Amino acid sequence: MGLIKIALAGEGGQGVQSIAEILAEAAYEEQKQAIYIPNFGVEQRGGVSIAFLQVSEERIGAPKFNKADVVIALSKRAVPRTARYSDENTIFVYDSSFTPEEEELPKEAKKIIGLPALDTASRELHPRVFNMIIMGAVIGFTGIVSLGSAKYALEKKLGAKFEKDPKLRELNHKALEIGWNMAQEALKEEVAK
Amino acid sequence: MQKVIEKAGKAFLTGNEAAAWAALAAGAEIMFGYPITPQNEIMHYWTRLAPKYGRGFLQTEDEISAGFTVCGAVQAGKKAFTATAGPGNTLMQEPFSMAEAMRLPLVAIIQQRGGPSSGTVIYSQQEVTLTTFGGNGEGHRIVYSTASHQEIYDYVIKAFNTAWKYRFPTFVLGDGYQAKMREPLVMYDPEEKGMEMVKPYPLVGLEGKIGEGREPQHLCNIYSMEEELYEVVMKFAAEYEAIAPEVVEYEEKNCDDAEILILAHGVVSRAADDAVKALRAQGIKAGYFRPITLRPFPGRQLREVIAKSGAKKMLIAESAYGQFDRLVKQEIYGETIPIYNLFMPGVGIIDYDIVNKVKSIL
Repeated sequence: MGLIKIALAGEGGQGVQSIAEILAEAAYEEQKQAIYIPNFGVEQRGGVSIAFLQVSEERIGAPKFNKADVVIALSKRAVPRTARYSDENTIFVYDSSFTPEEEELPKEAKKIIGLPALDTASRELHPRVFNMIIMGAVIGFTGIVSLGSAKYALEKKLGAKFEKDPKLRELNHKALEIGWNMAQEALKEEVAK
Repeated sequence: MQKVIEKAGKAFLTGNEAAAWAALAAGAEIMFGYPITPQNEIMHYWTRLAPKYGRGFLQTEDEISAGFTVCGAVQAGKKAFTATAGPGNTLMQEPFSMAEAMRLPLVAIIQQRGGPSSGTVIYSQQEVTLTTFGGNGEGHRIVYSTASHQEIYDYVIKAFNTAWKYRFPTFVLGDGYQAKMREPLVMYDPEEKGMEMVKPYPLVGLEGKIGEGREPQHLCNIYSMEEELYEVVMKFAAEYEAIAPEVVEYEEKNCDDAEILILAHGVVSRAADDAVKALRAQGIKAGYFRPITLRPFPGRQLREVIAKSGAKKMLIAESAYGQFDRLVKQEIYGETIPIYNLFMPGVGIIDYDIVNKVKSIL
């Protein structure tokens, strides 16, 4: 596995920082090098929150990057904020609960995918595990960690809550798997073209 | 004192956490601080950890007091430190200056944020001038500029030893990226590793009678005669210059046959290192030079690198508008190698930026 660069963006409370933190933790558990850095600027006052995540087998250089392998935009205004991180090798993903403005989508992308994460979470699971679908999808698109490691890292972060309510664990794991499958399907479609 | 790290092991932390753990492992007894982003979590983790290990903390009314309370605590023989950033660093220049004047073993961790003034809470390398030569003094300070969490850990520990050994105020200069990002490092007990930790000692209230049992301490930050001050500053300058060769640290890669030398410090040196690899892969002979100590500066070593490489050009990259550049130039006065700049004040620099700049000047 070479260096994988991911930018996750959304509204405060959508959990992009938690997703990046758990994935970084999972990569670390797999003995990989990982750097996660939050863009902790104005979003603390209600703007778009961006998490930058890099995972590699080798030492990672600068904490930020120019272009990502995968960009995930979870809100409409996260799209124009993150379009700059996309080039011809980038998979640009947005949640299909909103329709991005055509001119705000990146000019260059390997593929632009509308993922029905929020919709699926609301219909099949629970809206609160929306970000676990996204986390599963990030893993599905990049293979940065195994689902097993992600579950392990999740346990480290939410283990106490899961102990109280084991159903919550099941729900989160299910969401992860659904997200992973969504990404796999989306990638297959690309191959079919 | 209770051991903090029983067995060396890997950890995955933010830089601020690494700094707090390192201060504990170094045997720091008390931290004085005032909150400011992006340094806050050093204080937060310290306040969480300190009581478990019998260490102290005091939040003062502002940064000026935080600095002065460190000045007081070290005189009482306590290993004390503070941490700050940006406008807090500006305010602390007064106590830092006192530490210079009285040769106090003060330790401060600086996590640079954007400037001038409140600037941004995020990141920069714009506190280089302030940290190396701030205050109304002569820059008799020791400044380590770190580039990774491992270095934050290593140099925070080292800073206490340096401060208490040489009695010059000592700084660990990080930045908001290093403060906030997570990456792996190995934490250890310095003494388990064979490092000898310098024991703190009181500077006031000493035993014995002056002139009989011991020499006077002369902890003074004001003089009534200009000649008195002159004598003291000249003595400090001579002592600083004498210890400089053993304090200086730097890193050098691929310089022997380099046609272009890339200079960077702190977190930007990671991008410079990657840029050199990328340029070499494209057949461009680039070399990498990074001062780890910004004060004292590895000037002689840089001159040697310029001479042995025969490089035709030098690029200085920094997340500031020439603060590091000025530091370099004053140290290599007389060298004729053309110097180019990549100044990106307050924003991160990645290898791509450096590679592009190098290609534009070759």
